[in-house]
Amino acid sequence: MGVEGESTQTVVDAEINLNIRCSNGNKFSVRATLRSTVVDFKDLLALNCDVPANQQRLIYKGRILKDDQTLDSYGLQADHTIHMVRGAAPTPPPTASAPGAGTVNTPSQGAGANEGIGLGGAGSGAPVFPGLGLGGATNPFGSGFPEFEQVQQQLSQNPNMMREMMNMPSVQNILNNPEIMRSMIMSNPQMREIIDRNPELAHILNDPAILRQTLEAARNPELMREMMRNTDRAMSNIESSPEGFNMLRRMYENVQEPFLNATTTGGNDSGANPFAALLGNQGAVNNPPSTGSETNPGSAAPNSNPLPNPWGGAAGGAQTNAGTRAPNVSGLGGPGLPGLDRPGGMADMSQLMQNPAISQMMQSLLSNPQYMDQIVNQNPQLRSMFDANPQLREMMQNPEILRQLTSPQMMQQMMSLQQLLPQLNQQQSTLGNTQTGATTGAQNNMGLDLLMNMFGGLGGGGLAVPNEPDVPPEQLYATQLSQLQEMGFFDTQENIRALRATQGNVHAAVERLLGNFGP
Amino acid sequence: MGSEGSTVIVPRSFRLLEELERGEKGIGDGTVSYGMDDADDVYMQSWTGTIIGPPNTVHEGRIYQLKLFCSHEYPEKPPNVKFQSRINMSCVNQETGVVEPSLFPMLADWHRDYTMENILTQLKKEMTSPQNRKLTQPPEGNDEGRVDPKGLVLRCCIM
Repeated sequence: MGVEGESTQTVVDAEINLNIRCSNGNKFSVRATLRSTVVDFKDLLALNCDVPANQQRLIYKGRILKDDQTLDSYGLQADHTIHMVRGAAPTPPPTASAPGAGTVNTPSQGAGANEGIGLGGAGSGAPVFPGLGLGGATNPFGSGFPEFEQVQQQLSQNPNMMREMMNMPSVQNILNNPEIMRSMIMSNPQMREIIDRNPELAHILNDPAILRQTLEAARNPELMREMMRNTDRAMSNIESSPEGFNMLRRMYENVQEPFLNATTTGGNDSGANPFAALLGNQGAVNNPPSTGSETNPGSAAPNSNPLPNPWGGAAGGAQTNAGTRAPNVSGLGGPGLPGLDRPGGMADMSQLMQNPAISQMMQSLLSNPQYMDQIVNQNPQLRSMFDANPQLREMMQNPEILRQLTSPQMMQQMMSLQQLLPQLNQQQSTLGNTQTGATTGAQNNMGLDLLMNMFGGLGGGGLAVPNEPDVPPEQLYATQLSQLQEMGFFDTQENIRALRATQGNVHAAVERLLGNFGP
Repeated sequence: MGSEGSTVIVPRSFRLLEELERGEKGIGDGTVSYGMDDADDVYMQSWTGTIIGPPNTVHEGRIYQLKLFCSHEYPEKPPNVKFQSRINMSCVNQETGVVEPSLFPMLADWHRDYTMENILTQLKKEMTSPQNRKLTQPPEGNDEGRVDPKGLVLRCCIM
């Protein structure tokens, strides 16, 4: 899919798609270069409608296009709409009805070119499934929270971390469980639709062996490249046989396009669509070159960028985990509860948060640096993580940071998170009530087990947590509030609510304020 | 979560950006297209619209250009709407081409939910009204007759 995006981009220079609306309501599309002049463009249009070029009057953005100008000069862009009116009489200045310029293609040719591109996309984008496998792996902690995107980014920038994670037995456990993988995929309605329409796909997605293989590939750059090469070769073989071309096209139409739709229609709202986030951040998982770089040991720069706003609002445990213990979180929060039939990782995370026992544990954990060390040392995976990323260790040993983590704001944030997702209340309210359903129960248990492992030896000493914030949100989010004010959001209370819900992330808050936050 | 969004007042710039996109892509009822002349105008004030004379009226086949000016108070207050092309219409000042809010209820009774698209559509509808459809029109005014004020112009077109 990434491949397709690239190829269309190169085409933009040459030809773009333009929509024409006639005054009688007819609509059609043509492909043309922006370099062509309006008069040439009219000639092209004359081939597609019954209005002669010299009677056409074209309007774009309210401006009447003049014959001697180029399309480019009016700022036309791909998929924009031009209106066409038939002039009352040939009053417009006479236009030479020159034969269609070489730069302009008829629509039928355009369509042909399109197919070619599409096929190219299908060809190299075909390893959809590696993408999916990896998607499954990254989804749980990559989807819901804006902050998690950062984590995800860091992860993809740091192949070692990625590998570490993939190697964690808990992650593998989850990925080896077709049930969980399936419910993860099925929680996206669009993905479900695709699968419903293509039962053969479901088989693939349900086959742990394939998922494992893709995961294996994601972990091992060599293997990944090898797989890509194989697929590409296979593709070109198929392509060269006569029926093969059609088959590929069908496959593209049936699978690739809906898949793309499923992954992109979330728009910029990654919360609503985990797969969109995946596409966005993981870049083209299916794109051989970038996959290479993603898992390329050569680029294994230790992750030295601080998170933009790691402690800004107590993204609570979620954010904390994200910032300082990303790998850890993946082990517990993320994949621990991925299978709930709720789209988006936020649901998963908040479910964790919602559990009073867990938040208490977090509290006690975070309030005591020694616990931290203890945990780190007890867990070989964590230790190696820390070894790979000295900064993490540093962060965790910084009492200031730890203190901030335990601040009442964090608790407050958790509360607002809970309010955000009231529907989850019924899902799980107490630790003992995890067996709400066969599957969710199992997964919850798995998550809790993981958690227990992580927190082993803590014993869960119940600590009373102060709940009143000692800093008013106006102060806490002062910067973000003024930013929102500048953008024109003047309702301070609403702004604060949005900022709280998004842990002080201005971008996400804006999305939320505009009601684009997703269902 | 989305429910909260509905109570939020969409700021001016977001609102105008949305209208810009709709105009460019022909989203909406599709009979409207509009955009800004000067994409660099950060205040997105001046817009130009075009109305294509509705069929079966004296306006048929004519293209009317309008200028819409969105003050900083938009969308709380309606934009100034002014015909650049000459037109004989009951709600339009013959001298200046300005659409008189007092004669055009939509502007007089403005809602922040109204868009420029709505204005243009409504004006087009107005052209088909009994008092307007038969009015003698001046010779078709050169569309580019009135000089565009430099830079910021949005034109919309209604067909």
